[in-house]
Amino acid sequence: MSSAESGKRPRLWRPELGLALVVLGLGVFVVVGTLDVSAAASQLGLGPRFFPMLVGGAMVVIGLFYVADVLRGGRGDPEESEDVDPDAPADWRSVGLVSGVFLGFAAVLELLGWIISASLLFFGLSVVLGATHRLRAAGIAVVLGVATYLLFVKGLGVTLPAGVLRGVI
Amino acid sequence: MQLLLDGFTAALTPVNLMYALIGVTLGTLVGVLPGIGPAMTVALLLPITFTVPPASAFIMFAGIYYGGMYGGSTTSILLNTPGESSSMITALEGNKMARRGRAAQALATAAIGSFVAGTIATALLVVAAPAVVSFAISFGPADYFALAILAFTAVSSVLSRSVVRGLASLGLGLVIGLIGIDQQTGQARLTLGIRQLLDGVDVVIVAVGLFALGEALYVASRLRHAAPEVVPVGRAWMGRADWGRSWRPWLRGTALGFPFGALPGGGAEIPTFLSYAAEKRLARGVAREEYGKGAIEGVAGPEAANNASAAGTLVPLLTLGLPTSATAAIMLAAFQQYGLQPGPQLFDHNPALVWGMIASLFIGNAMLLVLNLPLAPVWARLLLIPRPYLYAGIVLFAALGVYALKASVVDLVVLFVLGLLGFAMRRFGLPIAPAVIGMILGPMAEIQLRRALAIGAGDVTVLVESWVSVVLLVLSALALLTPLFRKLVARRG
Repeated sequence: MSSAESGKRPRLWRPELGLALVVLGLGVFVVVGTLDVSAAASQLGLGPRFFPMLVGGAMVVIGLFYVADVLRGGRGDPEESEDVDPDAPADWRSVGLVSGVFLGFAAVLELLGWIISASLLFFGLSVVLGATHRLRAAGIAVVLGVATYLLFVKGLGVTLPAGVLRGVI
Repeated sequence: MQLLLDGFTAALTPVNLMYALIGVTLGTLVGVLPGIGPAMTVALLLPITFTVPPASAFIMFAGIYYGGMYGGSTTSILLNTPGESSSMITALEGNKMARRGRAAQALATAAIGSFVAGTIATALLVVAAPAVVSFAISFGPADYFALAILAFTAVSSVLSRSVVRGLASLGLGLVIGLIGIDQQTGQARLTLGIRQLLDGVDVVIVAVGLFALGEALYVASRLRHAAPEVVPVGRAWMGRADWGRSWRPWLRGTALGFPFGALPGGGAEIPTFLSYAAEKRLARGVAREEYGKGAIEGVAGPEAANNASAAGTLVPLLTLGLPTSATAAIMLAAFQQYGLQPGPQLFDHNPALVWGMIASLFIGNAMLLVLNLPLAPVWARLLLIPRPYLYAGIVLFAALGVYALKASVVDLVVLFVLGLLGFAMRRFGLPIAPAVIGMILGPMAEIQLRRALAIGAGDVTVLVESWVSVVLLVLSALALLTPLFRKLVARRG
């Protein structure tokens, strides 16, 4: 998280401030967003607005504390995980590509069907995440796509789209 | 006792034994693999298990639950990278043992210790559950509301080094829980006019988004490019001297783990750490010399504590409907999807299901022991799966589980948004568990609060009328203040 001009002086803007502002904003949103929920339907006790107001109000308070904490230089410890290098600089390109692959998968799923879309999803993600052997990745992708379809649709009765392969499989 | 025996007869049918076996195998598998935990596994299996009768489903979930705890220790001993925080302590001595060529013994003491602790702690669960039930049967709505508040504050302040971050996570979960139609009045809340959100956001999407997709994005941002260094291992076994050094730590670990697991916010982190520290202090002779270089006591104690706390977590979950960990929260959601509400009534109305599940905990525990001693080399090989394939596969199954819910692409988009949230939470050190617990317990807290205030006809003092709720609310306030104490102690020390 080092920046080019990082000295001892903490910069005013840090990425975590974004998350803190989201928390604060969400609190405001909950309070404002439930204004149109009328309480008329309820005769007994409290209406459907009371609890959201409570949560929203609490979120605003928590958000303010969070923003203040970040501004004063507080920071959370990034989560430790088996495959994460805590000292590596954030690789935004990979994050963007993973997001793109996933959203692309969501877009074509019902058109192309599960087998093709899921194979593309697996192939795309493994290449983005650094699989060097592309042919092998493609092979595994197709096997997984077909196997999950057969197992879940034919075996367990889960609904997955057949897409363009309708009738073929 | 009779009920427990009935539970065993229910759990020992061939079909249910098969579900238990599937459960422990799946649980160990995901416990060993980095990137997925038991919480996500149970969440992913939720939509698939609907064709299965509830008793069998919970027998399988029980297996996944214990299996997941078990698998985590293999990873931390052979890989020396902290995965789940509860098995972090095991890595301290366990990986050093493995590096000195004692991996088989480390895995054996972890496996046998988990079995011993799991069995004793499950027996304690059998004793404690009816006692808690008979006490909780008189709880009113105000008491349940106070209980939820205690769970919220405890889990937010204990699991995070920064209370404000824990609370922020809790708040995010509560907001997600608000989305959808208000159960009592039928009013839509926070749906942004999106029709698909009227039913609320499914717990499967939240758990899978925050855990699986969030983890995949986080890993993508900081992938460790070096190949993981796995210590090779054969069949897990240990000799007479290791047994002699292990049994006391097992028992001490169990004694620490069970009560902490049963407390809201207790979890597994604190008892495993306490057990590690206790064994270090009690170490004599060889153990003393070895401590810090791979002493078996430092694996045996924390592993026992870890498993005992897992059993302890089931006490509040089954008797009060109170989840104290993310996995427990998902199990609660599983009960709800079957139209069951854990709590004192569940023991009355559905004794066969509850006791069948408890009996299968004993069975699953024994299966894990039989399965894991000889299969250690197989699990170790799983750690060598190239990471690109592993995470691509995790995302594939995440998408499958979520799409299978309602065959809705909107759900996939919601999943992605929650994945981004999970990514941000990991990056900035917001614990995930409070969000999951808030999302699942929030709507229940709301119902109990409204019920309590309806009984009191709008008088707020109804919330503090019984001494139970007063005690619980005082404890909640104390939970929020613990970091202040910690700071004071740290300053003095």
